[in-house]
Amino acid sequence: MNAVSTTRKAPPGLPGWARSAETGRVLGTLALTLGVIAWAGGDLFRQDLAFLGATYALLALGMYLPFNLAGTLSLAYSAYVAIGGYAVGLVGTKTGWPLPVAYLLGALASAALAVVLGFATRRLSGFYLAAVTMLFGVAFQSFLLDAKDITGGAVGIGSIRPLTFFGGELDRHGFIVLTLLIVWLVAVAIDRIRRSPFGVTLQSSRDVPAAVEAAGVGVPALRLVALGVGAAIASLGGGLFTTANQTIGPDTFTLSLVMLAIFMPLLGGQGSAWGAVLGAVLVVELTFNLQIFERSGSLIFGVAVLAVLLIAPRGILGYTGQAARFLRERLTRTSRTPTEGAGR
Amino acid sequence: MSAQLWVSVVQIGCFFGMVALGYYLVLEGADLFNFALGPFAMFSGLSASWLMAEQGWPLGLAAVLGIVIAAALAVLTEVALVRPIDARTDGGELPSLIAVVAVLFAVEQLAGTLFGRQLRPGRSWLPDTSLDLGPATVDGQTLILIGCTLVSFTGVWLWMRRSKYGRILRAVGGNREAARTLGMPVGRVRLVAFALAGLIVGLAGQLFSAKAGVSFQSGFGWALSGFLALVIGGTGSVWAPLVGGLLLALAQTLVPYYLGSASLDYAVLAIAILFFALRPNGLFVRKVRV
Repeated sequence: MNAVSTTRKAPPGLPGWARSAETGRVLGTLALTLGVIAWAGGDLFRQDLAFLGATYALLALGMYLPFNLAGTLSLAYSAYVAIGGYAVGLVGTKTGWPLPVAYLLGALASAALAVVLGFATRRLSGFYLAAVTMLFGVAFQSFLLDAKDITGGAVGIGSIRPLTFFGGELDRHGFIVLTLLIVWLVAVAIDRIRRSPFGVTLQSSRDVPAAVEAAGVGVPALRLVALGVGAAIASLGGGLFTTANQTIGPDTFTLSLVMLAIFMPLLGGQGSAWGAVLGAVLVVELTFNLQIFERSGSLIFGVAVLAVLLIAPRGILGYTGQAARFLRERLTRTSRTPTEGAGR
Repeated sequence: MSAQLWVSVVQIGCFFGMVALGYYLVLEGADLFNFALGPFAMFSGLSASWLMAEQGWPLGLAAVLGIVIAAALAVLTEVALVRPIDARTDGGELPSLIAVVAVLFAVEQLAGTLFGRQLRPGRSWLPDTSLDLGPATVDGQTLILIGCTLVSFTGVWLWMRRSKYGRILRAVGGNREAARTLGMPVGRVRLVAFALAGLIVGLAGQLFSAKAGVSFQSGFGWALSGFLALVIGGTGSVWAPLVGGLLLALAQTLVPYYLGSASLDYAVLAIAILFFALRPNGLFVRKVRV
């Protein structure tokens, strides 16, 4: 066996990092991201789709860390995204600060909120966190309508100035490049977190919290960190979306957004952070690009979530990975047979 | 505060109490907060309202069908979704939570697609009767709601003390593994608990939709209110959900009365965080001497 596998290695000239599967993943997804940038091009409709897809992808990635890895379900994601959006709106109209400050402020505010809500329910079952975050989403929605001096009420905030970059104004195409590269970077980072010791601890705290506690790691604190980071990422998505549209209102991010946030990682596959991104792309493609479902689109989603939960708990990426492994095994088995025959 | 507001507190409180009773039954039987109960109540009220308005059905038939649909949805949730997912994931909490949240969303959207997305009025069961109490008047629908609430709670209370399945449900709620080891039909009792909860919230949805109307999105708020009522009341007694419902209704009526309508959602959130942080088991806790 050993002899066989050494002869099947890549040519010796390449260094180790160039041959690893991780490099392949990173470069492959970068190529896909660049492909999407090229696809969006100068077409306005495609650009809108790309922005929406990027926002959904960040939302899904923000959900992926606390929900799929740490096993805590927060349902205030519509509020986190809206906080990111309104941070851009407020900084962009009421101050002279550069817009990236707004991304930072929005992310910090969302993370702080997520941690406070998580802290109030830290020793209780996950149902309590789900309920209190749902209530927060409802309360935040009425805050957006009610606090007219801050949020502009039902009208929202309009004519937000565009992002400037090294002195020059960034045009729409440039902003798409920036946004999609941010999505790629966040996805790569989260996927690396998943396989880091921290990520492994997170996943263990989801599956066997008692064992992780016994190993000296505080599970509630770990979950709070995941909740905060997730909220910050979702808020960044809202901030970028608002920068692109230059306007935000209470209807921009509605309560049902959280259903998409749960649904996207499940559909794409929970086994990797890229599943969340794939889910986001599919959702945008199904709802906006094809437009076959029209008003019953949300119903189709609801039913699809149930179907995925029942029939395909591993999502699309999970099944693709399984199929690829199966094929590779079949191929290696057929190629190994003659070698083994010769060795005998 | 005028006396008429107190009638409204009792009316809303009875409704929240009934939804919370549904939560209580499922929690005892399956160790699970079934957030989809709110949408089941909505579906019951909305389907009956639609049948009466669009198809010309008589009130009684539409109401019965609505309640049966709610119970059927509850049973379907357990049989087709919660049970298989529980079996696959070894009874983990997160998968069943996602399942009920997904059901919440799906039922809401199904109702929106089937019955339209506007607010529909419910119809009173006793439009011509009203009780004059001097400073306040109680209309017929409120009388029916109070009556049905008392009947439901008394019924469940007696059922859990006297009947075979009711007693098994208490045993399962106390210690699932022990009940299973003793050979009790845990799965069947779970199903009965889901069905009963569906019936009760279906009835509650029927009766309450006559007050403020019902739309496909009503179920979301109802689910949260019922959950909060149960958290406030606790699970120490069958009657605890009713007490929790009345207290929550009192808070929901007093706060807008004194602080303005926008403060309602903040107040509800504050109540929830306070209870979750300080008294997550509610006011009534079952004390077990060991």
